[in-house]
Amino acid sequence: MVLDRRGFMKFIAGAGTGILATPVVWKFTDDAAIWTQNWSWIPRNEGGENTYVHAVSKMDPSGTPMRVRLVNKRPVRVLPSPEHPLGGGISSLAVAEVQMMHSPGRVKRPLVKGPDGGFSEIDWPGAAELLQGKLEEAKDRVAFISGDENGSTNEILSALAKALGSEDVFLMPSEGQCAAKACELMGIEAQLGYDFENSDYVLAIGANLLESWGTVVRNRRLLKEGQAAPFRNEEKGVKEKTPVITFAYAGPVQNNTAAVARPWLPIYPGAEGILALGIANMLMARGKVANAGDFGAFRTLASRYTPEETARLTGVDPKKLEQVVTALLSAKAPVVVVGSEFNQGSGAAPLLAGFAVNALLDNINKVGGVALLPPAVVAMKGASSRAELYKKDLCSWFAGKNTPAVLVMHEANPVYALPDPAAVAEAIKAVPFKVSFSTFMDESAALCDLVLPIGMGLERIDDLESPYGCGKTIYCISGMASIPQENIRSTANTLLYIARQMGQDLGFELFEDLLKAKALYHEKCSFDVLVAGQAAESDALVELDGYSLRPDIMAKALTVKTATDTLRLAPFAKLNLGTAKTGIPPYNNKTLRAKELDGALMTVMVNGATASQKGLSDGDRVTLDNGKRQIPAKLRVFEGVMNDTVAVCLGFGHTALDEFSQNKGANVMELLTAAPEPETGLNAWSQAGVAVSKS
Amino acid sequence: MSAKKEFNVKWGMAIDLDKCTGCGACMVACQAENNLAPQADASNKLRVMNWLVVFELSNKKAFPDHEVAYLPRPCQQCAEQPCATVCPVIATERNEEGGIVSQIYPRCIGCRYCMAACPYHARYFNWFDPIWPKGMEKALTPDVSVRPRGVVEKCSFCHHRFMYAKDKVRAEGGNVYVTGPDGKKHCAVPEDGYVTSCAEACPNGAIVFGDLNNPRHTVHRLVTGNDNAFRLLERLGTDTAVYYISSREWVRRLGDNYLDEEETQKPKQILPEKH
Repeated sequence: MVLDRRGFMKFIAGAGTGILATPVVWKFTDDAAIWTQNWSWIPRNEGGENTYVHAVSKMDPSGTPMRVRLVNKRPVRVLPSPEHPLGGGISSLAVAEVQMMHSPGRVKRPLVKGPDGGFSEIDWPGAAELLQGKLEEAKDRVAFISGDENGSTNEILSALAKALGSEDVFLMPSEGQCAAKACELMGIEAQLGYDFENSDYVLAIGANLLESWGTVVRNRRLLKEGQAAPFRNEEKGVKEKTPVITFAYAGPVQNNTAAVARPWLPIYPGAEGILALGIANMLMARGKVANAGDFGAFRTLASRYTPEETARLTGVDPKKLEQVVTALLSAKAPVVVVGSEFNQGSGAAPLLAGFAVNALLDNINKVGGVALLPPAVVAMKGASSRAELYKKDLCSWFAGKNTPAVLVMHEANPVYALPDPAAVAEAIKAVPFKVSFSTFMDESAALCDLVLPIGMGLERIDDLESPYGCGKTIYCISGMASIPQENIRSTANTLLYIARQMGQDLGFELFEDLLKAKALYHEKCSFDVLVAGQAAESDALVELDGYSLRPDIMAKALTVKTATDTLRLAPFAKLNLGTAKTGIPPYNNKTLRAKELDGALMTVMVNGATASQKGLSDGDRVTLDNGKRQIPAKLRVFEGVMNDTVAVCLGFGHTALDEFSQNKGANVMELLTAAPEPETGLNAWSQAGVAVSKS
Repeated sequence: MSAKKEFNVKWGMAIDLDKCTGCGACMVACQAENNLAPQADASNKLRVMNWLVVFELSNKKAFPDHEVAYLPRPCQQCAEQPCATVCPVIATERNEEGGIVSQIYPRCIGCRYCMAACPYHARYFNWFDPIWPKGMEKALTPDVSVRPRGVVEKCSFCHHRFMYAKDKVRAEGGNVYVTGPDGKKHCAVPEDGYVTSCAEACPNGAIVFGDLNNPRHTVHRLVTGNDNAFRLLERLGTDTAVYYISSREWVRRLGDNYLDEEETQKPKQILPEKH
């Protein structure tokens, strides 16, 4: 057979038709497309049965309730739990909690420090024996620091300390501690709460209400429910829904809360208390009075803060202040919340001034006002209540050069989170034996002789009682959503075991038994119901029967430092950057804006006028210097910062944890120094000055 | 541009910028839901993979008149897609009831024409292998396959959730599409039966998701006849499915490239009668 030209053309045409007709080529192309993207290092999806369990975040200070999705018993997502009284959406921190269970920064097994300073593995019995021996040697020279202010583990810490003869049990500083001290000074035995659910006007002074203050997710649910956008109702025609709640905010930085507040009142950092006194004066000028024993003295004090004087000291715009006062007076259920932009260090005096404003608004224990919640229940014999723990100031203890023989830290990272971290690190290094019960290898754990891994909230059973800010008593138990990913045990059970070995009977064999005992205090919810995700709620309030506003303390403690050649430092917190305990969660790294972090250099913000005054411009590399320490940064001109003020975000500058937290900016706590607040026994660090110069 | 396809159901969003505080919960929820790998150094935004980004907006006024707003930007799911028009391998198209613009990763050859074409910068090139810290891959969801490096990715309005929601309707013996009282076809998936991960997570309720064509859905009511509603780059004619709401004129003005002498157009002048 001869292949002529015609035959050849027929063959080509036939081959072409055949290729087009056969699926082989297309199948091959399709497979090639798939298989060239199917590499061994790319994880495969693993399916399975979907189940959901309820939990409460122990990582997020606001105690965000969560619904955890499990696939084949493997947690994969944290979803909101909107029915929970603390719920709504989900916070930027809690939403990454499942992924954080696998964070490279986790402590995976018990570690003991060797003579060369390196860590080596130790088994749990060995670790418990080591700690027991050290505690027996130390006797009453033992101290405990807890970073979980809402959990019952603190009962075990304090009961064990008491059994050993020590009173040194501390909570990490918090807004709750400042509020508790204010209550103590006023003679009120209660926890301050805020009934936002029924408020129609909320003025936050300093308190970063919609980002990091108190019960954040619950606060923000009220924004969702109370500030509906205008919309068309098909059945009723066009109708604008009137907002039922208005948020106003006063603070030095146009932060996340200020972004949606109407209005934002810019004030100097640390001027929250003075502003509250100025508002109190304006309210009294319009006939408002408070039923306090020392109201006369308070009136005299507050009358000094005329609108002009208040404006001079705080930098507030008198016109805007007048608008806010008018709004407070015309609201049906207004409430004022005084706090700190970074949830710490304000001292108690601003809270006293804030309480006075609320008393003038006659909203104490009223619907939509301030709620005086009963103190948290104590179920363990010999344990200290939360109020008793709040009375002890950790900064004062460190400043007093106290050196216990054994220091036990539970979910606390004072080496990162306290002012002047270098001094705190030195103080902790001087302790002969220090132990950290920690989920992550944080800065404090890295200094310890023994590091004991504890589970994430999802890997352990734990509880949460009335986090600061909630408007009613709430008790929740978070069950174990996941099998532990690492070789972990709980702080509570480890210490209960050690106590038993030491012959100390704390009344409970297991932490779960203590939680069951606590559940009995809540009539409507059994232990099982609580573990299943329901919260026990109580509307009980402490009667306000005789109290003092304590103008004597306010007169001494409420001052505003005036800037000279330095700028006022305004630290502010953002929950997406994690906490001192967690560092920056891996999944949250991408939420950092280019304007917040440039490589390893963080940005600090001043407004245009302040930048010009200091000869600085946008993009400059600068150094912030408090006279003792310096931190490098990149300057950003942001017009949402108060005059003569430099705003710095917390959460940067981790030296421990993992690559997601390290080499990112500097720790602003380096620039802060705790100073005793007159008359209150607390320390404050909300007013600091720093020199900002080009590097 | 390709011929515009109209659908009975048009999934869309109304994002209230007066409620958004810029916390980033939506961004993290999106990453966790759609299996986006974390990056230790995410400061170089040209190399970071995000399906949803929250941008900071400023009214550009000096202190104390300065205002700030935050704008979450998912894929705008255009009805007239600049991206699909330029894709040489038909890796992205909008041809399914619901109006979601697909992204078919095995087809994508990584040419990035679509990224150049997208006026919203909503598309991202996968520069790196998707590597999770050891063990973190256990937290991947089974719903969204992990994409290799070298392809373009984008928000899918959590399309897998739509598929699950439809499956649920079918499993319960119902039809996915039914005729409503207005005589039009609507999706039988209930309003809360299909919600994107970002809308679900938002603690402020700033992101509302639903069928823009369904008068019973909140998203429809939020944007219809609302003088505060606008869409990004409306005058490009991309007919997006993401509406923004703000009572602040300066925010609405940032929604398009207005000339200095131009007035911000009223939504009625530019928004379509029908979604």
